[in-house]
This record gives sequence, structure tokens and C-alpha cells, in this order.
Amino acid sequence: MTILCVRFQLPPMYEAALPELLGLLEEFTPVVEALPPDAALADLRGAERYFGRSAVELASVVRVRALARYGVDCAIGAGPGPMLARVALRAARPGVTCAVPEDAVAEFLADRPVAALPGVGAATARTLDEYGLDTLGRVAAAPLSTLQRLIGAKAGRELREKASGIDRGRVVPNAVSRSLTTERAFGIDELDPDRHRRALLSAAEEIGARLRAVEKVCRTLTLTVRYADRSATTRSRTLKEPTAHSAALTGAAYGMYEALGLQRARVRALALRAEGLTPAEEASYQLTFDPVDEKARRIEEVADRARARFGPRAVMPGALAA
Amino acid sequence: MPGFAHLHTVSGFSLRYGASHPERLAERASERGMDALALTDRDTLAGAVRFAKACAGAGVRPLFGVNLAVAAQEAERGERRRTPVRGGAFVDESAPRATFLARDGARGWADLCRLVTAAHAGQGNPLLPWADNRGDGLVVLLGPGSDVGRALAAGRPDRAAELLVPWREVYGDALRLEAVWHGRTGTGDGSLRLAARTVGFAAEQGVRPVLSNAVRYADPGQGPVADVLDAARRLVPIDPRGRLDSGAAWLKDARAMLDVAERVVEAAGYRREAARRLLEQTRATAAECRVDPEGDLGLGSVHFPEAHLVGAGRRTAQRALASRAAAGMLRLGYGGRRAYWERMHHELDIIAHHGFASYFLTVAQVVDDVREMGIRVAARGSGAGSLVNHLLGIAHADPVEHGLLMERFLSKERVVLPDIDIDVESARRLEVYRAIIGRFGGERVATVSMPETYRVRHAIRDVGAALSMDPAEIDRIAKSFPHIRARDARAALEELPELKRLARESRREGGKYGRLWELVEALDALPRGVAMHPCGVLLSDASLLARTPVVPTSGEGLPMSQFDKEDVEDLGLLKLDVLGVRMQSAMAHAVAEVERATGERIDLDAVAPGDPETYRLIRSAETLGCFQIESPGQRDLVGRLQPSTFHDLVVDISLFRPGPVAADMVRPFIEARHGRAPVRYPHPDLEEPLKGTYGVVVFHEQIIDIVARMTGCGRGEADRVRRGLSDPESQGRIRVWFAQQAAAKGYDVETIRRTWEIVEAFGSYGFCKAHAVAFAVPTYQSAWLKAHHPAAFYAGLLTHDPGMYPKRLLLADARRRGVPILPLDVNVSGVAHRIELVSESPEVWGLRLALCDVHGISEAEAKRIADGQPYSSLVDFWERARPSRPLAGRLAQVGALDAFGANRRDLQLHLSELHRGARGGGGGQLPLAGGRQTASAGLPDLTSAERLSAELGVLSMDASRNLMDDHRAFLQELGVVSARRLREARHGETVLVAGAKAATQTPPIRSGKRVIFSTLDDGTGLVDLAFFDDSHDACAHTVFHSWLLLVRGVVQRRGPRSLSVVGSAAWNLADLVEVRRAEGLDGVAARLAGPAGTDGSPAEGDGGPFRARVAGSEGLPAPAGSAARDPMADRTIRMPTGYEMHPWADLRPAGEGAAQGPAAIRKLWHQSPGSAG
Repeated sequence: MTILCVRFQLPPMYEAALPELLGLLEEFTPVVEALPPDAALADLRGAERYFGRSAVELASVVRVRALARYGVDCAIGAGPGPMLARVALRAARPGVTCAVPEDAVAEFLADRPVAALPGVGAATARTLDEYGLDTLGRVAAAPLSTLQRLIGAKAGRELREKASGIDRGRVVPNAVSRSLTTERAFGIDELDPDRHRRALLSAAEEIGARLRAVEKVCRTLTLTVRYADRSATTRSRTLKEPTAHSAALTGAAYGMYEALGLQRARVRALALRAEGLTPAEEASYQLTFDPVDEKARRIEEVADRARARFGPRAVMPGALAA
Repeated sequence: MPGFAHLHTVSGFSLRYGASHPERLAERASERGMDALALTDRDTLAGAVRFAKACAGAGVRPLFGVNLAVAAQEAERGERRRTPVRGGAFVDESAPRATFLARDGARGWADLCRLVTAAHAGQGNPLLPWADNRGDGLVVLLGPGSDVGRALAAGRPDRAAELLVPWREVYGDALRLEAVWHGRTGTGDGSLRLAARTVGFAAEQGVRPVLSNAVRYADPGQGPVADVLDAARRLVPIDPRGRLDSGAAWLKDARAMLDVAERVVEAAGYRREAARRLLEQTRATAAECRVDPEGDLGLGSVHFPEAHLVGAGRRTAQRALASRAAAGMLRLGYGGRRAYWERMHHELDIIAHHGFASYFLTVAQVVDDVREMGIRVAARGSGAGSLVNHLLGIAHADPVEHGLLMERFLSKERVVLPDIDIDVESARRLEVYRAIIGRFGGERVATVSMPETYRVRHAIRDVGAALSMDPAEIDRIAKSFPHIRARDARAALEELPELKRLARESRREGGKYGRLWELVEALDALPRGVAMHPCGVLLSDASLLARTPVVPTSGEGLPMSQFDKEDVEDLGLLKLDVLGVRMQSAMAHAVAEVERATGERIDLDAVAPGDPETYRLIRSAETLGCFQIESPGQRDLVGRLQPSTFHDLVVDISLFRPGPVAADMVRPFIEARHGRAPVRYPHPDLEEPLKGTYGVVVFHEQIIDIVARMTGCGRGEADRVRRGLSDPESQGRIRVWFAQQAAAKGYDVETIRRTWEIVEAFGSYGFCKAHAVAFAVPTYQSAWLKAHHPAAFYAGLLTHDPGMYPKRLLLADARRRGVPILPLDVNVSGVAHRIELVSESPEVWGLRLALCDVHGISEAEAKRIADGQPYSSLVDFWERARPSRPLAGRLAQVGALDAFGANRRDLQLHLSELHRGARGGGGGQLPLAGGRQTASAGLPDLTSAERLSAELGVLSMDASRNLMDDHRAFLQELGVVSARRLREARHGETVLVAGAKAATQTPPIRSGKRVIFSTLDDGTGLVDLAFFDDSHDACAHTVFHSWLLLVRGVVQRRGPRSLSVVGSAAWNLADLVEVRRAEGLDGVAARLAGPAGTDGSPAEGDGGPFRARVAGSEGLPAPAGSAARDPMADRTIRMPTGYEMHPWADLRPAGEGAAQGPAAIRKLWHQSPGSAG
């Protein structure tokens, strides 16, 4: 009963507030793991003794402080391990902390749907449902070999362990989010490729600027196209080298967009997500003899400084200015 | 000032392009003082006949033309674009278009037909190959959309001159350049600069210019409608920032066109007076295009296939017909009967009088061919009244014996084309068409088209998509409407109780929907597609292709005329209705099954008449699946009428028509039949015609007979009189004439008065006896099959799915009649449903479910599975039958693979591994227990509810047991009366009934009110429900939109076998079951305490059930006669004969059809999402 999983009720696209909220948790324990965009795990093993309160009581303190200092509400799940805390979070809501009873873990899990487990995505859940293994209790009761036939050897073993309540995970402290997202929505069903590209350009510029602001580079860029019928297409591309360079990000985004070959698709929104963030100083940079690249980077540096001084709309690509 | 002639005008027949009907265009042209108007639809001439008729009515001279995409002279290589991952590619509209006008009478018309036919001959979008682009009788307009116009728009007069050369070579002096100004800027289509360039270029090249307005709609302000049509055609949303319709493409009057002309010539650098010359050229071109609708299109003349093709050899058709009829007399054994000979000669006289002999021979030829192919064929319609038809083998029933009259079909006084309809097996209809084409040749035969027009649902979908509305929202709105005209959308929203919720939303969010409804109504009745007419086949002489454009149908590739049924009649083309009747297919299948299984050969056409068991079945009113007598109303009528002879069946079928029901002919007939009322005749002379129907007039033939007897005018004239009765104006004249004639024959005033009352009241409603006799034959045959070979009968029904009920209801009926239902099994089931011997003594035949009913199975897959039987193991099945992975999964779910051991989920796992193994190339090792049995993998088996759900999902039938069985306990708690126990209920008793909805209708009825009829199936039988006006506010939405219903109502008894429940409150049973499970009986009580109508889905709003609980405490449905009624009274449609019809009657009601249950059912069983589905 020592791990808390906290989900802050952040309005979408306000993940920038997460680091501050993590600081709030760090007042209780140094072992805090961010689960971007809006949640975090905190290991309170030491804090319980230090504060003389149980984890569930501390959860109330966390909520009060978050509300008082940041005006952000949160839901909290508590459990003996990170996996269980996350499962508990699903049953929690602001004001009601859900705790997994330490001595009845299997019973707690038995009636929950398989999708409640972290790491069980929509595809796995669908496969399991198809075979009647729709609750964790049934998964735990199924023969291991059958599970492994269904979803593979390693995944099957892990799933069965998790479903039986064996939580081998631990909270790994890290600093800030490992990804950044931005989305451009359209007011109508948008078919015009020029407008699509303009939206991508603006999104890539924003991602680049935000990455450079926190001195990070990203390894992977993901494009999500949302359509009028609420479906979406997602494409990912690993960059040649980790970068925070707007031009490189834009190029990658355009590449993914062109590969979709959209014509009549009714696009309602385009989202870009930078993943695999690492500190900028650790990134390698392939030098070239081409002065163009060098110039672009210098211009970007200058533009960043101008923006820092005169506001985000001070310098922008010509295509977006219109 | 002389009028302007628009040479380029499209109507709604230009699919998703033109926004006005041809009638409207003609009307406006006449109002705006034009004396000639062209109709030049895109890719079609389908509007031409209507247009010609409308023009004749409006006093405007019609010009005929067509706008076609023309292939480039040298093939150009298009770049290939990447295939989109989503949403599909753009619709390709890049081909240049030119407008062709018929100039030279019949020759011009024939050229137009040929061009359209050639343009549709290729694959994909209609495109006229350059090689076919010629014609002496044509004028060609090259406008902004042509290759020449595009070159000019691009600022390339040199290229334009180059492109003009081949056009000039082909059309020479008949070529025109068309200038259009729609007030646009730039140099593109509709801009002033392009118009000016066109005029200048024409002068330079020595080609005559004309001015047109490229009309798309009749009135100003219809631009937004054109935008919606553009969006619907190109399958994209309207882009409000993009290029919208200019709003100028309406049918401008002469003054406005003069202004346009002046601006254009000025911009081209001429003096203003040149505008007159431009208009003069346009008028001159219009004057050249002379096509006379009567003479040149062939309106009003008849063309039969040549005599030598219909077996006449070198004789005349009349001689051949006479000799064939005489041969028929001898063949059928009428040779010694004088009356038959006289009748035959009389009929032959009439036929000779009209010169229709080839027509009869043609039909006879077709029927002979069909019969030779082993396809069941029967004549229907008034043609059955002709003895000659009977002698030629076209009609089955003997008209003399049944008292059918030739005059109802054809007489010397009647000058319209007679029609003989033939019914064939629906499954083999296309074979019949191909045989007819084979017999007469492709140049004489074509099917008839049927424009599909916008009704409210499609209009909402297309407008919503064009306006970028949320697809889920559009779907919900569209589905909540019944199938009504689009123009009634807003009225329906105001008036229909089941649309109240939507109307409230619409009012609340006002602006969001405002434009939607307006545009939906603007699309009303515009054609949105063309389909093949389900039965019409054109037969003509070899000149067919010069008189009608023929295009291939999309699915079957059969030749199809662009004209529809009415057009074809106006054009004087001979149409034969070859109707595919599913019941004929079903009976053929049943007979084939009996022969396959038992070796017994049944000749349905020779079944003994008057079989007592058959009539016992019919009298029991358990006639589900029997032709014509299975609807709830018919079952009720059959129960009251208690037929015991073939004649009774004929009467029964005739009585169950809107007319007789509305005129209340049913009650006096039944009273008289059961001796409860005396049979009365106005005069002893009329006893003979009226005797068979207890003094009630039922048949047209009786009216003809009465009039002929009373006035002595002869039957041909009497038939004309009968037709005149439905028109109130001529009715007055007939009345005077009738009184005079009858008085002259010596009848007294009282007799005349009473007879006239009968004639007047019933004359226009009666039913043609010949029709009824033709219908009654398959009715009797199907009932005979049901009585004697039930298993085979159901096998036929399920295979060919005739009738109005979902298959699962037929299955429930079979179960009730004691036919064992055998589950699907890949080792036994065939492609179609089969019968199987279940026990030797007593001999019981069971029904084996078929592979063809499995969701998503292809014909090839089903055949492969059936051909490979038997299979020894799962692997054997997988390897030899090669089912697709999803199909194999579905088969496992419904137990078709149970024979291979293991439970159904284990089988699924094995299948997916086999699938993976096959894909990976390596043969996967399958754990087998005992060699052939599949080993268990320890997965939980499907529960019984999951099995039922799987059956509904995969087969759309609850095959193992009735789905209501699962709710039996709950229904008992509620005190619901089962259908079986309902038979003992008293008249006037208030009961609760429940079941799965099987059919819902709102037919027109006598009182002029809207009544919702619904049938519930609860496993023990059927419950027929009626909801009257006063309960609609509370019930309509629930009844239309739920699948499982709980209904409170009052029992109505009208006879020993006739019983229905008049509903006063209805609840969605599925919701209640859910509430019972989640909240217990108290929850159900709380729900029932709320008003019944607002039961709502739990999804509606914030805490729907809670609100409902608080809101209505008195537990009564809304008071009768609420707000919705008053406006209704104004909209009641009054028939000319005085009977009132509710404006929303006879519609297919809102919601999903009852047949598609599964989607709705999924949530009936409480299980994890996705399992067993």
C-alpha cells in the first residue's frame, strides 16, 4: 500500500503544467515517475514513516495541495505496486481514492476487464475478449500455454502474472515528460492539401520551439490524422538523428503526410507528437559540408531569441503569416 | 422583343448536377416568354419524354440534346496518383464536354440515341469515343467545358484553333461556339473574359457563336442547391471558401440575356449592336433544331417485333395466332364446346381490330422459352381474362370457368396498349432476360430503367455530408425519419410524434439545422441514381436503338433503356413485365428438395383442388409464409372469412385491398357469408353476377356485367364506363346516362337508384378478378406445400426469403408447427436450406440450416464447403474448404464445427493458429487428441446466452431456441400474457404482451387516421398490435425504434380466430431487462411509473431514468389529442372519392427494419463487448 498513481485533471494540451505538479509530489518522495501527459506514479515507502500517515491519507494531502496551489483536481489510486496502483486509478475519481487491499489482490482484479491492466492495449484486449477471456479472473484461470498461443510467449507469461496480481514493477524516477504533442483542428471537413501542409508546418514549428525551450531533442515523430467519422490514421517516423530542429521536423511531417496520399478524406484535425525525448547535450549532430543546413540553424537560433523577446508571433514562416 | 432560346439547359436528370425538374423548366420558360427551350442533360436523354410532354402543356417548343464527355483525339497519358489510405480518390471529371443538339427530325434523334449509347458502352464514367463522335443530324456547341473552351481559358488561342480543326472536319457548318457569362472573375468557366474570347475566336475562325447560360436550375437563388449537388456528385464537402456556384445559372429571360450579350460583345471589342447579331445567331440555331415529339420520337405509335421472329413464318401474325389458338382449343380439350369457340373468335376479332396479334405471339414465345428452361412461370394481371392467352399457354386459369372477361383486358373501345405480366422465379429472372435477348436479339430488347429519386433520408445524408456535419449525427437524424418525401421534412418534424425529440433539438439549436432542412426539401424528388426496373422488358422491332438510348446496367451488364416505365409507354415501345417472384423460387426449391430427399415428384400446377387439409390450414389463420395471405391484416381477414374453396380465396385476395377495406365492403360480405345478414339483390336480373359474392360487389368484372345488363351497352363500353367512375367529373355524366339507358330497358326508378348506389360506391374500388385468380393460384399452391411438406416449404422460404417477415420469424413458425430445426454443420449443411429425415416412423422431416445464411459468406465459399463434404477433422476442413479466417470463426461460433470436438472457443484458437501457420508458410503443429478430435485448450466455452447472440449475429436467426425464452422469468414477474394464452383472453380485457417486433406498418385505413400496426413474436405465437392516434405521442417513438417491446393494451376480438391488441403504452423491453438486472424490481417499477413514451435510452441526456422517475407520477400516457393533432387535420389527403387518407399513412416507418435485429440485439445479453460477436 505504498505506491500512489495520481491523474491530474488537466485540460487537454496543458501538459506543460505537469512538471510543476510533479514538483508537488516530489515534496513527499524523491521517487516520482511521470506518466505523460497528465499522470504520475509516486513511491511513498519512506514518506509513510516520515509523515506518520498511510499512503491513502497522504493521497488526500496531495489532492488538497494540488487544488490549493494549482487549482487542479486529481484522482488517485493506491496499491502495493505501480501496476496495481494504476489499475486502482481506473476505479478512482476525485475525492474517492481507490486502494487495492494488500491481502485480496486477486479478488480485487478478478472482475476487472482485461483492458484495465497497463500494457494491455485495444488489440490485445480484443483478442482476449474474442476467446471469452474478458476478465482478469478468467485470464488468471486460463492455462499458461493457451495464453501464450493467443498473444505470444513473453506477453502471455507477463499477462498471466499481472492478472494474478504479481506486480514486479517499480517506480523509476525521471524528470519530465518523454513526449510532446500538439494538435491543429479544422472547423470544417478540410480536404485542401495546402491547408493541411500549413497546419503541419505550424505544428512542427511549435514542437521544435517547445523542444528547444526545454533543451531536448526527439527521436521519433508521430502524425495522427483525425477524420470526420472520428476515426484516425497514425504514422510514425524515426528521425535520421535526434533533433529539435523545426526544418527537420517539418520535413518528416510532410513526408508522412504525403505518404498517406489523402484525396477525399475529410480531415478534422492533424496532431504531431514528438517521442523519445532526450537531453539536447547528449544528441549527436551529423556535420555536413552543405552550408544551407548551417545557415538554417543559425537563423532558427536568432528567430528563437527574437521570439523570446517579442512574443511567439514575432518571427514565423511566410506560409503561416498570411 | 423576341424571346431568347436557351440551348444549354440541364434538368435533374443530370444526376447530382441539375437542380430543377424538366416540368419546372418548361413552365418557367413559358412564363418568361420563351418559345423554344432545349434540354441537354449530362450523359442522358432520360428526361426527354417528360420534357416533351411538359413543353406541349406549356406551349414551348422543345429541343432535344445531350451533353457528353468526349474522349480526346489522341490518347493522353494520365499521371497515376498514390492510392489514398483513407477516404478514396477524387471523382475524375476532367474529360472535356460538348453539347449535342438534334437538328434533323428523326435522324437527329437517332443520332443522339446512338451517341449516348456509344458513350456508355465503355468502362467507368460515360465517355464518347472520338470514333463515334459524328452525326449528320446534329448541331454541336463547344462551350467553356470543351477542349477548345479550355484552351481559350488558358490563354492559348493557337491551341484552341488546332483543337477546333477535327471538330470542323466532322461537323462542318453545324458547329457552334458557346459563350457563357455567369458573372465570374478571372478567365475560367463563366467569366466575362472567356466569353469575350470565345466570341472573338469564333469571328476569327469563321464559326458561328451562340450565347447560352448553361442553365442548371430554373429560378434565381438556387445556387446553394447546386453546391449541394456538386458536393454529392464529387463526394466532398462544400468548401465555403472555395469555388461555389455563381448563382447565375438560372433560366434567365430575354431581357437579362440581352444584357449578358451586350456585356460580352463589348468586352470582345465590338459595338453594343453586335449583341443583337449574337442573339440572332442563337435564335437561328434554335430554329434549325427541329424535332417533332410526335413524329420523330415516335410518341404514340407502336412497334412490335417482326412477325417472323415470333413463329409466324411467312404467314401474317394474325393467321399464325388464329391457328395456334385453335390448336390450343384441341390440346386443352375444349374442342367440343361451342361457347369456347365463340369466345375465341370474338377475342381474335378484337385482336385483329387493333392489330395486336404479334404482341400475343411475342408473349407466347417468351413464355414457351421460359417454360422450356424449366423455370416456373405464371401470368398475372388482366391478361388472365383472355381465353386466347389461356389457349396460347400464357395464362394458367381457364377464364370461362372463372367468369373472367376479355373486355377488362382489351376491347374495341379501348385504345391503350394491353399489358400481360408474367411471373417467373426471382432467382432466375436474369436468366429469363438473357433468354429473351437471345431470342429477339440485342437490337430489339432492352430492360427499362427506374430513376431513384431523393427522399428524405437520402437527402439528409447528402446535404449533411455536404455541410460537413458529423456522420454519426447525420445517421441518427436520417434514421429517425420514416421514408417520406423530402419536401415534407419540416412538416413531418412538426407533426409526427416519433420525431418530437428531434424537433425539440432542432428548435433548440436553431441555426445549426436551419439550412439543412431547407436544402433537404430543395432536393425533393430529384433523381439521384438510375436502377434497372425490376420487371419491365422492352420488345420492339429492329429500330429500337434509333429510338431509345441504351446503356448497360451496372451490376449485370444487361442493356437498359434510359427511359422509365411511363416514358416507354408514351414512346409506344412494347413493354412486357417479367416479374421475379420470390415465392415462385421458394416453391421451386421446396419441390426440388422433396424430390432430392424422397424421390417423390410433385407437380404443383396439377395439385388436386379443394384439398381439405390445405383449407384447414388456411382457416386456422396460421398462414405465415403463404403467398398473399401472410400479413397481419390478411391473417385477420382469413380468420373471419374462413375460406373453403378456391373461389373464396379469390374473393379474400380481392377484398384485402386499400379500396375495399376503405369502402367497408368486408363487413357486409362476411355477415352475409356466415348467414348473419340476408343476401339482397337490387333486381333479380343482377342475381347472376352478384350471387357468388353474396350480393356484394367485389370485382371489376361484376361492375362491367351489371352496367352491361342494365343498359345493354355491351361489355367493351361498360368497361370504359367503369374506368370513368373513378373521376368525379365523368361520374356525374355517367350517372345521367346510366339512368336514361336503364330506364329505356324498363327498370323502375327504385332499382336504378339502388343499383347506381352500388356501382357508385364500389365501382372504382373493386379488384380485377383476373388479377385475383392469378394471385390465388400460388396462394393455394403455397398453402398446400405448407400443409403437406412443411419442412421443404420452410426450406424454400428461408432460401429465397419471400414475404414481409424476417427469417427468424419463419423459423419460430416452423418450430411451432413441429418441424425440427437442425443446426448448421459443415459436414451436412448445403448451400441452400435442406430437409432431412429425422425419424422414420412417424415420418418426421427436419430443416437443416444452410451455409448461405452465414453472415459474409460468398457463393464460392459456400459451394466449396458443400462440395468438399465430408470433412474428417478441423485441419481437413481448413485445408480443403479454404474458408476465410473470419468466416471460419463465425462457423465455429454457431456450432457448425462442433463435430470436430473441443469447445467453440478452443476451435477459434485452433483456427487462428491454422491461419497464422498458413500465412507463415510453415505447417503449424495442431495438437490433436485421438487423431481426429481437436484437443481442448482450456478456454471457457460460450455461455448459452452468448451462443444465442452468436446465432443472431451470424445467421440473423435464433436457431437453437427462441430469444424470448431468456426473458421468460422476468415476463412472468410482470404478468405478461403469452401469445398462446392470449387466444383465451376476453374481449375488452387489459393485458400486457411482449415480444420481438416482426413487422411494423402504417397502411392507409378507412377512417383517414394514422394507425401503427405491429406484430410481436414471443416464441409461442404472434401478437398483432394496433396503436391508434391517441397513443402515438406516448408510443410511436418506442414502437419504431425498439426491437423488443413490452406493450399494455386492450384485447379486441372480431371472430373466433381474429384477435388483436390495441396498445396504449409501450416500453423498450431490452431497457427494462437491463434495469431489472441492474436495479432490481424496484428499478423496473420506477421506470414503469414514468410516462411510457419518454422511456428513452439511458444515453439520453443527464440521468434519463432519474428524470423520468420524477417527471410523470400518475403513470398514464399523455392525454389523447395533444398538440400534434390539429395541424394533422389540415393535411389529411382527401381522395376524390371522398375517403380520407392520413398524410403520413402508407410509409415505411422510421427506425431500422425489424429484419436487421442483430446490431440492436448485441446489448441484450450482458457480456463483455466484442465477445462472440
